[in-house]
Amino acid sequence: MPAAKVLTPEMIDAIKAYFPRYPSRQAVTLPALHIVNDKLRYVPRQAVIEIAELLGLAPAQVQDTLTFYGYFKQDQPHGRCRLWVCRSISCALRGADELLDHLSHTLGVSPGATTPDGRVTLEYAECLGACEHAPCMLADNLLVKSVSPQQADQFVKALP
Amino acid sequence: MPTVIVNGIEVAIGEKERLNGIQAAERAGVEIPSYCWHPGLSVVASCRMCLVEAGKKDEKTGKIAMQPRLVPACQTPATDGTIFVTNSEKVKNSRAMVEEDLLLRHPVDCPICDKAGECNLQDFHFEYGQKERRADIKPFTSRRRSLGDTVTLFVDRCVMCSRCVRFTREISGTSELMVINRGAQEEIDVFRNDAGEIQFPLDNKLSGNVVDLCPVGALGDKDFLYKQRVWFMRSHDGVCANCSTGCSIKVEENQDRIYRLKPRENPHVNQWWMCDEGRYGWKHVHDSRRVTQLRRREKTGYAPLDWSRFAGELDQKLRQTGRLAAVVSPNLTVEEAYLLSTYIREIDSDALLAVGPVPVEGTDEKFPNGFTIHAEKCPNRKGVEAIVSRLSGGLLNWDDFLARVESEPVGAVWLTGGYHQPWNDTAIAEKFSGVKTLIVQDCFASPLWDRADYQIPAATFAEREGSYVNAKDRLQSFRWAIRPPAGVLTEGQLYWQLLKRPGLYRAAEVLQAVAREITYFTAAMEGVPEHGIDLKVNQLAEPTKTPAIVA
Amino acid sequence: MKNRCVPLRCTHPTKMPEYQPVLLAQVGKAESHTLRAYEQAGGYQALKKSLKEKTPKEVTEIVKASGLRGRGGAGFPTGLKWTFLPQNHPGPIYFCLNADESEPGTFNNRVLMEEDPHQVIEGLILSCYATNATTAYFYMRAEYPLAWQRMQRAVDECYAAGYLGKNILGSPYSLDIFLHRGAGAYICGEETGLIESLEGKRAWPRIKPPFPAVEGAFRKPTVVNNVETVACVRHIMDRGADWFKSIGVPPDPANPRDAGSYGPKLYCISGHINKPGCYEAPLGLTVTELIDRFGGGVWKNRKAKAAIPGGISMGLLTADEFHCPLDFNGPGKFGCLGLGTAAVVVMDEQTSMVDFLLNSCRFFSHESCGQCTPCREGTSWATKMMLRIKAGRGRLKDLDLLAEIGDTIGIMPGTTICGLADGAAWPIKNCIKKFRPELEAHIKRTNPSGWGETKAVPAMELVGIH
Repeated sequence: MPAAKVLTPEMIDAIKAYFPRYPSRQAVTLPALHIVNDKLRYVPRQAVIEIAELLGLAPAQVQDTLTFYGYFKQDQPHGRCRLWVCRSISCALRGADELLDHLSHTLGVSPGATTPDGRVTLEYAECLGACEHAPCMLADNLLVKSVSPQQADQFVKALP
Repeated sequence: MPTVIVNGIEVAIGEKERLNGIQAAERAGVEIPSYCWHPGLSVVASCRMCLVEAGKKDEKTGKIAMQPRLVPACQTPATDGTIFVTNSEKVKNSRAMVEEDLLLRHPVDCPICDKAGECNLQDFHFEYGQKERRADIKPFTSRRRSLGDTVTLFVDRCVMCSRCVRFTREISGTSELMVINRGAQEEIDVFRNDAGEIQFPLDNKLSGNVVDLCPVGALGDKDFLYKQRVWFMRSHDGVCANCSTGCSIKVEENQDRIYRLKPRENPHVNQWWMCDEGRYGWKHVHDSRRVTQLRRREKTGYAPLDWSRFAGELDQKLRQTGRLAAVVSPNLTVEEAYLLSTYIREIDSDALLAVGPVPVEGTDEKFPNGFTIHAEKCPNRKGVEAIVSRLSGGLLNWDDFLARVESEPVGAVWLTGGYHQPWNDTAIAEKFSGVKTLIVQDCFASPLWDRADYQIPAATFAEREGSYVNAKDRLQSFRWAIRPPAGVLTEGQLYWQLLKRPGLYRAAEVLQAVAREITYFTAAMEGVPEHGIDLKVNQLAEPTKTPAIVA
Repeated sequence: MKNRCVPLRCTHPTKMPEYQPVLLAQVGKAESHTLRAYEQAGGYQALKKSLKEKTPKEVTEIVKASGLRGRGGAGFPTGLKWTFLPQNHPGPIYFCLNADESEPGTFNNRVLMEEDPHQVIEGLILSCYATNATTAYFYMRAEYPLAWQRMQRAVDECYAAGYLGKNILGSPYSLDIFLHRGAGAYICGEETGLIESLEGKRAWPRIKPPFPAVEGAFRKPTVVNNVETVACVRHIMDRGADWFKSIGVPPDPANPRDAGSYGPKLYCISGHINKPGCYEAPLGLTVTELIDRFGGGVWKNRKAKAAIPGGISMGLLTADEFHCPLDFNGPGKFGCLGLGTAAVVVMDEQTSMVDFLLNSCRFFSHESCGQCTPCREGTSWATKMMLRIKAGRGRLKDLDLLAEIGDTIGIMPGTTICGLADGAAWPIKNCIKKFRPELEAHIKRTNPSGWGETKAVPAMELVGIH
């Protein structure tokens, strides 16, 4: 039995809207992955097949690109908040490794995993480019600056 | 003439040739090792094993300017005045570093790896590697996962040369293979579903080539896996007999048993590739159902015959039987076709010569780089047709022949087969009921075989020597790779005996005679080079479907 | 952001006109990211003038004359790079703006894009005009959501105002800018890695030749420039090449290949200092001046131990080397790779160099694209060794092996396709050279029974590293 379609008509339209921007459809790969990821909070393998079809590629080509970046989860959606804790040098010098450990402890998950209630996915990130606010974390689209372990706990507690 | 200097050795390059450092060095007899470079694929220069020192010699001043950094020989064009140095300390150290790097995470499980004996990692380590293992060691995993029906992947042996991925993207155009993850986590894989099962397997018709391409033992051919060690096999140059593409191949055998076929480089026919149908199309050679006993029909059944007396008996029979006919199979070589036809016409100058059925499956399949799998599933229709039409003054095809054999009185018919699919049925066999002496020379039983008065077991492609002419009029010659099963005398040897030629059957001699007698084959007169010869080279016009009668 | 005034030429601090920031001039002002505010402050005048009065070639000549060198890390003369494009090409020519800023310690592009996006756009349009590019792909990393938002809004404002699209300001020149979002890979900041990523493939950098100017994105001539670089272009076209050349450090007369270090630079300073931030000063500022005048000094009243001069790829300076001038020549004289992104990260005296080196190795092995052998395997091997050392299972021999990796991987010996391996090697190289006693002491102290081992020992799993 063929698998149920994952891409909604809106997603398909959104992806197609990118076609005129580039001379090749393959270039729409990243935009398409982001469109699906923003909506579903992950990119299921069925979506990869459908994106490949839209772009005139083999599924392996899209999957190849997808797995290069550590950005797209594939097995299940990430938490309602994806919390990236920077671990590069400027943040590490100001306690980032300890912050990550602490959050891992608080949330009860290791980096990359999602809390059982689906609220938070804890991730480590390489330099978030906010070194003047070290140690920092990116909670979806919000940059949380100069955060202590206690402040991080408070922040996480306040998440829906 | 452009000249390139490799380690002080001057090498002349053709004006129109586009060679890189590896190829230029090869001409100088110098090996530049590499994993990722392959002449048939795009250049990625990612393995970094071929790093050499390069420079330029000024034509006028003779001054030499070497580049300060190492460069990959695979991406450095060998133009006039280019200098390559491959044996300096710098180059040696670089190679040792790359080799050491590749061995860091490699399981080094040679004792259980098929590739041992033909492995770049082994060979280059031996030639260029470090003397001791300096790296962290840890228990290795030697994971294996299937990529499809014919190819399996030993994940941890992979050196990320990406040849296999490039092959499926550039040559087969099917893009089933991919690289997953990043950095030292990278692996080759096919698209899998959420449960990890293969969803889009490696299953194009050229799949087997990726195993040839893999420079290490990461990709394994399921058909060959664990069957034979490479150092026990002997490799014989041959020509694939599965279709009219006529790929140059290597038949690899041990003690007359084939273990695998591999493509042989031929820029005019198959470049470096062969299709899976041809690659795995040798099973019939060792099929237990092969007929291997020479027999004559008696009233009570079949009686075995002795080869030593057979030629004499058959010859006598044929001279007393009246009208003769021979069906020359498109599986026979040019030389065999010629000898059989000559023999039959010698006895009966009016004998019917027909071409056996030409099996056609589907349509020609062309791949992005031009490689074609032909729909015509026999190796030598063109060669056989040329012989038959020249020696009989016309071209009688199988269907027309069947009609004639039904309607006209024919004393003896000699049918040659050698097909690996069934090629006749009871209805066709019925048509020969009026023939006094039915001779069938074939590899497998069939309704015709079961009616034959003389059952002559025949040779397969790997057991014969001679030449095939492919769809593009290229004639390629080959020698036998294995001896036929006991009880089988090859067609060439039998016809040679029947014609009372002295000594052993020598295909080359026969080809010369053919080239002298038949214009179509003239180009082969001076001998046939390794990659075959284009027979059209001496023709003024394209040969038509029905070759004209040649004086 | 503070508008700090710094002497124009740092080599002569005593009698100097004060330097007024130009790139950061609008940062901190209300609504600085809007078109209205930008135009009020004199924005898009340079564009209007240039489109009317200058040909693309003339713009290129001016940028060339200004001595502007790329701010993305390589420091290649920008005007010269533009001249590599084929003359009279039927097009299309593509411009890729590299906003993938991922070099640890660096955040100046983020500041520019968030606080003054129109400055970047105007510079981009001018650069595209100069190079005859008709489409610009603005490749921005995924981790800059605010910059993305503001930049997209700014681009929309430009289209509405006629600064983008067909026949800009009534001129025959047309340009489209498309924002293209990355997905968390440092190697997309490498110009050909960016192009591959833009094309939808894995970001494996390409071999050169062919260079992007000849065959780049979609096989067409392509220019890749950094955000700060194009922002400089805007000011060069506003105030002239001579103005730009009056700032910074002229070429070293003893070095005929020195192209000079002209113009203002955005310095990022972070780590163990009191006032981390992005500050603008002429090229040539020393590390000491950056720390003391802008960074508020080392934090917690401690002394500095070491500093990264220009993003982690550039290596390490000891505290004794802080008089190193931050121009294109300075860091090289102190054994570092170069100026890089001029992102200084300061480490105080309590910092363990083992931790530093582990962090660096971990970063590079995580970000290595994996295409070429020395980088893929070398960075992974280095990280494993550092993990062992940190866990108290190191050997002195590991330092020799690390030093060897530091000396043998990279585009400088020619062993790799791109410079990530150099970035990975330099911190190792510098750290072992400059802090070997500390590393040895750590190894001996934490592995009293095994530090002298010379045979290969079991590695540790890279759990939690990738």
